Amino acid sequence: MASKPLPTRSTFIDKPVVPGDVILDLSKLTDQTIKLGGGLQQDHDAITVVKAGILRFSKPNKYWIESSQKRYIPTVGDTVLGIVVDTRADNFFVDIKGPMVAFLPVLAFEGGTRRNIPKFEAGTLIYARVVKANTGMNPELSCMDASGKAAEFGLIKDGYMFESSTGLSRMLLSSPTCPVLEGLGKKLAFEIAVGLNGRVWVNAEHQSTIILVANAIMNSESLTPVQQKIMVERLLDRVN
Amino acid sequence: MEQRLANTWRMTVNEKKFIESALESELRIDGRRPFDYRRLTIKFGREDGSSEVQLGQTHVMGFVTSQLVQPYRDRPNEGTLSVFTEFSPMADPSFEAGRPSEYAVELGRIIDRGLRESRAVDTESLCVVAGKWVWSIRIDLHILDNGGNLVDASNVAALAALLTFRRPECTLGGDDRQEVILHPPEVREPLPLIIHHLPIAVTFAFIGDENLVIDPTHHEEAVMGGRMSITLNTNGEVCAFQKPGGQGTMQSVVMQCLRIASVKAGDITSKIKTAVESYNTERALKMVKRHANINAVDVNEPGQKAKQILEGKKIKSEECSVSQSDAMDVEQGRIKKRSDKNQSFTGGPSSWDPYSEGVNTDELKANLASRGEFYDLISSVSLEFLVCYDCSLT
Repeated sequence: MASKPLPTRSTFIDKPVVPGDVILDLSKLTDQTIKLGGGLQQDHDAITVVKAGILRFSKPNKYWIESSQKRYIPTVGDTVLGIVVDTRADNFFVDIKGPMVAFLPVLAFEGGTRRNIPKFEAGTLIYARVVKANTGMNPELSCMDASGKAAEFGLIKDGYMFESSTGLSRMLLSSPTCPVLEGLGKKLAFEIAVGLNGRVWVNAEHQSTIILVANAIMNSESLTPVQQKIMVERLLDRVN
Repeated sequence: MEQRLANTWRMTVNEKKFIESALESELRIDGRRPFDYRRLTIKFGREDGSSEVQLGQTHVMGFVTSQLVQPYRDRPNEGTLSVFTEFSPMADPSFEAGRPSEYAVELGRIIDRGLRESRAVDTESLCVVAGKWVWSIRIDLHILDNGGNLVDASNVAALAALLTFRRPECTLGGDDRQEVILHPPEVREPLPLIIHHLPIAVTFAFIGDENLVIDPTHHEEAVMGGRMSITLNTNGEVCAFQKPGGQGTMQSVVMQCLRIASVKAGDITSKIKTAVESYNTERALKMVKRHANINAVDVNEPGQKAKQILEGKKIKSEECSVSQSDAMDVEQGRIKKRSDKNQSFTGGPSSWDPYSEGVNTDELKANLASRGEFYDLISSVSLEFLVCYDCSLT
């Protein structure tokens, strides 16, 4: 046993896992620290899965489970599309499809002071970043990047927003660009904002373009890359 | 309070504006034109009288059951028809479990008005003994997913379930020919309901100033100013009309809606009819198998009495419709055996309460007390009692 090279990485990486799978045995790891993300749990020496999905690994030592669902579990660093629900003295209450409403401090905008608090009516769509996501607490959002710049975050005007699953959002954000967006982008001009909480916003000059893009994206959820390509080509043929 | 904020579905200002402005140029968010219906799919369950209807994202299940009850005093020779709706919180987070919401009551009333008050179901044929026993038909509508336009989807689900529903056949027996005998489905083919016409609900939504759309989705319902549900049949007869929401409507618009609705009603009727037809042929094919199974059981189980083999023969004879009289003799024999035990079953009603139980409770208790007899009844193939018992409980 000792003669074999010790496994430093899980053999389950990028493979589907189900609750109960043991992905790592800490007793066999030589003083290495690992970081666990969503869907993983430590039981003494074993790292077990508590959520069905695909195990992801990022260098040097991060492990997490990726799955597709309609409910969003906030994670620090995710960019999300939220809907303003209510305004309080210190915070905006924002719905991000999570188990609780998220707080967006009124000062978390570029150059935000007590004097220039933005006015958002209920139902306003905003693009924001999750900065705090502790269990048992409301998650906290921010409309600034780490260096305090607005960086595209903030209020989103016009266009059309629709809801899908977190898996679809991740597919749209993956690189290389997914076939749907690539195919549509070649022929049509449109703007898109994708939140990791499964909300997608689309805007274009013509309303028909928005409808076409939105429906193409919604239909691509259960399609393979090849099928997506065929679907987009057919759609574009029909329009032109 | 906060928890409630997190659990309710809400719409952005962007969506509202987009839906309204796109309609100005006759575009809808799912790619339909203002007067296009969503795709309608009708499926049936394994039991008779159950249906599942999908209208786009909307998903509704219909279920029809029957029970023998006392008729209403003012209509002693008519059966009853009632509609119940069930809004599951799974369908939409805004639905609360338990108490029916205002919309649930309204939906039930629209369906009820369309079906009952247009006399679509022949209630007189549901009478067994005038003033004593009539069939009460209950339609349960379960909303499984709310994607908008629950009225139309529920109406189709109710019709599909009614069209495939079959009630057990019953005859009158006993010494005074006043006793009701229910025949189990294996012995006598259950009877379908008599349905004169199909009232189809077609819903319109008024969005913005004068934009009119048919079959609104969940998003469009959140934006609309008013709604109009028209229930009519293929003959163009308007059976029910409901217009909630405060928006006023021109008479010419109502007439235009009626014309469009009658065309849509025709399409939907033909869809329901083809679905029911294919279900009926499938059912007929299954029937052949079912009878074969019963015979097989008789042969395989050695402990069965000779009487059951007789029963099997009887079914065969019925199937071939060669000698009906033999079967009738067997039937009569069993009736006599039963009748002395179940005398008070047909006893005159002491009150005229239409909701009283289907079976006299004292009689039931007596029966349950003498368990030995109870089991004896079951074993002697006389399943009628069991069926009655079942009906009264459900």
